[in-house]
Amino acid sequence: MTRNKTGNTAATFSACVGAAAVCLGSAASAHHSFAMFDPQKELTLRGVVKEFRWTNPHVFIELLASDGEGSAQADWSIEMTSPEHLARAGWKPRTLKAGDKVTLVIHPLRDGKRGGQYVSGTGIDGAPIGSDLKRVANSATRSGK
Amino acid sequence: MSLRKHAWASAMALWVVAAACAGHAEGERVVAAGDIPRWPGQWEVDGATPAPSGGYVESFEATLREMKAWGPPPYTPQARRIFDLVAKQVREASGHYFRTGLAAQPIARPRCSFGFPALMLHSPLMFEILATPEETALIFSAREIRHVYTDGRPHTAPEDLFPTIWGDSIGHWEGQALVIETIGVSGIERMAAPGIVAIGGDSNALFELIALFSPHTRYVERIRMVDPDHLENQMTIIDPRVFTKPWQITRRYSRVKTLNRMIHEDCEGEDRNPIVDGQYSLAPPPPPPPRLPPPFEDPPGAIDTRNPVALENRD
Repeated sequence: MTRNKTGNTAATFSACVGAAAVCLGSAASAHHSFAMFDPQKELTLRGVVKEFRWTNPHVFIELLASDGEGSAQADWSIEMTSPEHLARAGWKPRTLKAGDKVTLVIHPLRDGKRGGQYVSGTGIDGAPIGSDLKRVANSATRSGK
Repeated sequence: MSLRKHAWASAMALWVVAAACAGHAEGERVVAAGDIPRWPGQWEVDGATPAPSGGYVESFEATLREMKAWGPPPYTPQARRIFDLVAKQVREASGHYFRTGLAAQPIARPRCSFGFPALMLHSPLMFEILATPEETALIFSAREIRHVYTDGRPHTAPEDLFPTIWGDSIGHWEGQALVIETIGVSGIERMAAPGIVAIGGDSNALFELIALFSPHTRYVERIRMVDPDHLENQMTIIDPRVFTKPWQITRRYSRVKTLNRMIHEDCEGEDRNPIVDGQYSLAPPPPPPPRLPPPFEDPPGAIDTRNPVALENRD
């Protein structure tokens, strides 16, 4: 190690200080930002699933619902995570289907439009949606030296 | 043996293996396939199981807690000052963006690469480990692949090496442990400024910076199975230019039990929240196009090959 090399590396770090904040600020941008939702607010929607859109990069629940505060029934778009992540959490493309009556808790859009980020949900029987999680019993996936 | 001694012993062993393998006859395997462990199945970083809400809200906070427990890297005083400054700026900037919903800057297209070492430390992507005597591939669900060459080849020559987000990895087996040495790792713009490797994570609230590394940093991993459902990665991070001593951290991986195969994380898919007037908006992807009729119609009386019961009962 030399003083020169130390200085060069430190200079590299320094040169990036300004850029790093900007770039990190965009770390969650493109389709991975949830900044348009207000994480401080929760809204409960009661309604009927119009479509369960199992699609990349993120899954959507299209819902005909009211917000329980006297609002008329209207279309809502509820965003979830990706199919891969949902599948790992035990969800399947058939977990919801059109016509299912559900109650969803969401973080609403900041701009007041009818959309939000999925927080939790229950079906007509009151059970959490996706709770019929079945572990894969596949001994072939176990380690075997 | 301490982690530090392990790291240096492993680095030395890489040279020994490289020297020994130089004399291998063509076509001869470095080690017998049956002598290396099998770690089949899918794995995920402990605590990084995504929540259905997306945004890794709950899981990422757990991951961050674990990473914070490592304590800061042993930076030299000068490097520590720079890290603290960057971390403060990142915290403030991301807090502003998350509080207001404002976009930091327009982005031409979604980027989903995590790169090394984030893939091994806090990525929410599941992965498989395919081990052969000559190479081990770590395959992540968003199509990032780490290639670890265990056939005795050395690293790319310094004069030919250029940094990439996965770096240049060679390795060897020490009993049941896979030892990997990685150099030439570049940062990715998504995580930090180009050239700087950053690890950290965001919840719905803030982006927290855990460490910054330079392109000169060397990483030695020692991965082994600690029980049938868990792997452990002891990682030693070495950079005498900015560290006063090697930084040693440990990460565990859990077997994914809800699936028995990989699912493509199509992270480069449609942008579902385009930036409009400087703010994010929500745009669910359009419905899929109408399905085309099947190209082949089953002839009358044909067995439905998709039906296992029908197949079982056929004459």
